Amino acid sequence: MDGVLEVRHLKTYFFTRLGVVKAVDDVSFILRKGECLCLVGESGCGKTTAALSILRLVDSPPGRIVAGEILYQGKDLRRVSDEELRRIRGNRIAMIFQDPQSSLNPVFPVGDQISEPLRLHLKLKKGSALERSQQLMTQVGIPQAEERRRDYPHQLSGGMKQRVMIATALSCQPEVIIADEPMAALDTTIKAQILDILVTLKQSRELSLLFITHDFGIVAGIADRVAVMYGGKIVESGTREDVFDHPSHPYTLGLLNCLPKIAGQRGQLTPIPGTIPSLIEPPQGCIFHPRCERCLPVCTKEVPHEVTISGEHVVACHLYPGGGEG
Amino acid sequence: MRKISQRLSGRNVLFLALLMALVGVFVVDIYRLEPLLKPLEYLYLFFALLLVFYGIYPLYVHRRLTRYYWERVKKHRLAVAGLAFIVFLVGVAIIGPFLTADPTMVNFKEKNIPPLGFSIQQSLYDVSSDKFITTEITGTAQHPLGTDDKGRDMLAMLVSGARVSLQVGLLATLIAIIIGTILGVVSAYLGGWADNALMRFTDVMMTFPFFLLLVFIIFIFGPSLAFIILAIGLTGWTGTARLVRSDALSLRTREFITAAKSLGVSDTRIVFRHLIPNVLSPVIVITTLSIPGVILAEAALSFIGLGDPTVTSWGVILQAGQRSLDTTWWVAVEPGILLFLTVLAFNFLGDGLRDAFDPRSQL
Repeated sequence: MDGVLEVRHLKTYFFTRLGVVKAVDDVSFILRKGECLCLVGESGCGKTTAALSILRLVDSPPGRIVAGEILYQGKDLRRVSDEELRRIRGNRIAMIFQDPQSSLNPVFPVGDQISEPLRLHLKLKKGSALERSQQLMTQVGIPQAEERRRDYPHQLSGGMKQRVMIATALSCQPEVIIADEPMAALDTTIKAQILDILVTLKQSRELSLLFITHDFGIVAGIADRVAVMYGGKIVESGTREDVFDHPSHPYTLGLLNCLPKIAGQRGQLTPIPGTIPSLIEPPQGCIFHPRCERCLPVCTKEVPHEVTISGEHVVACHLYPGGGEG
Repeated sequence: MRKISQRLSGRNVLFLALLMALVGVFVVDIYRLEPLLKPLEYLYLFFALLLVFYGIYPLYVHRRLTRYYWERVKKHRLAVAGLAFIVFLVGVAIIGPFLTADPTMVNFKEKNIPPLGFSIQQSLYDVSSDKFITTEITGTAQHPLGTDDKGRDMLAMLVSGARVSLQVGLLATLIAIIIGTILGVVSAYLGGWADNALMRFTDVMMTFPFFLLLVFIIFIFGPSLAFIILAIGLTGWTGTARLVRSDALSLRTREFITAAKSLGVSDTRIVFRHLIPNVLSPVIVITTLSIPGVILAEAALSFIGLGDPTVTSWGVILQAGQRSLDTTWWVAVEPGILLFLTVLAFNFLGDGLRDAFDPRSQL
């Protein structure tokens, strides 16, 4: 049951001129070996900040991790030295970013960029690092890797660039990959291909994947477990089946209702009314209550505690009895 | 030691080895009675090494990119003309002094000879007849650009002046650009109070009257060319630092910097391997555009008599010639034209490079 990566009560705040933005407010989750955990939620709910916090990549100032523990191999990544953290970054825990367009350095050939972590962490010589990067490129499905590795990012398509990003992340055979909406900038066919690559790699290498997305289609395809985030908090988490078959939090229900269904009745989609609240002055009580259809009087006053519904299925909502005591 | 050599690539190791050899020769040379080379020439060699390893070698390695930019520069006719002139001038400066006469050789029998194809009337006092005799002096092929009032060959002087002017222009600019680029990028990357401190320092340097400082330095250390170069280089980086910082600021927030950090790249490596290569195109443009300024600054210093008196820079010749502009006009006009052409050539090249490096320009 032990997780490869465990985040406990993480709080990352941005200290802006207008006030403190509580982008991540008391978030806890476990990522187990060979497992894919999907962090789902609307834009601006703190998914990316949570992911960046793990490797201490939040821009500071204005951002700062104010509390919590990020446990990796028994060490708290919040407290390790910069030097030690650098040895973990890209080597044991790697990241794939949202926008392949801007995540590659425009002035270097992509082969050089894939080989950078190899030379840094595995101390490979330039030649063997380039050779290795060529293999990696083939592995993630880049044709003619020998020639492509000399290409500059602007010469590759979006899908190819994302493959380069994945190859870079994989280069040192990390234990954990954090993927921050890696499909957001890609079209559907490419999405499916990239997803396929990730799933295969996850299975063949026992890779743990922390996958951040707002796309429930991807979640259904890749996730072992799902954590739904809203307003900087995790409102519901459980296995994929728990969340898809028995969505319990009104927000999860709302999200699922926003999806067009192929089977069953045709009808209007039901969007969740309103927009995400300001995280500088979040609503009192349950942060979701202004948009909640099933809002109770208690929701406006008290913050709901997490309630275990069944097995791993946990929800933070007053609709479920026992919430008061936690 | 092994750890260090592991971190460095072959090119850096070779560069360091050659640099150490150069420093070794320099140290030995100091104690010799007759030095092999002057200290300034060592500085020159150092920058030549720097240029070969970090200028020409990368251009050769990235042939495809070089060709791409060359295609773009080529569309700018004036830039190509400017480049051709600069290449010609550099060639003249390097090999010219070995081919021409000694620029310091004084010969009063052949003074004030006009350039080839010109002739002037000259009144000379003849002692034997106690009369003024008006003679006509015409240019000779032996002194194609004429001679000055001490009979020194203008061509030889201008050629050795080209060497001085280019030395000053290139070396001082290189010093300024290196300081400015590193300071600008570091300042932008660190941000916060470090950025503030560095930029306020830049502001102070900027408001400091540069010319006054130069005069002051030369007053203290004497008018040596090496000090003039250092003085111009150490004060002229402010504009570069500001420009590079503004460029690097927008780069710092780009995702590829976060991505590099997420791969475990150290801060130093991010600055030197990821940020500086990305600001190089504006830096190259600033370099070409600031070289003429520096050449003019040296000429101006020489003109007001603060130049190095042991070298014949264009400014020194110009200053000597302007006293007799009504008679021996060529002494001032020739270096003037050369200065004008050189400055123009660098400006054209700079403009061309700017257009070539700007992805938005339609070429």
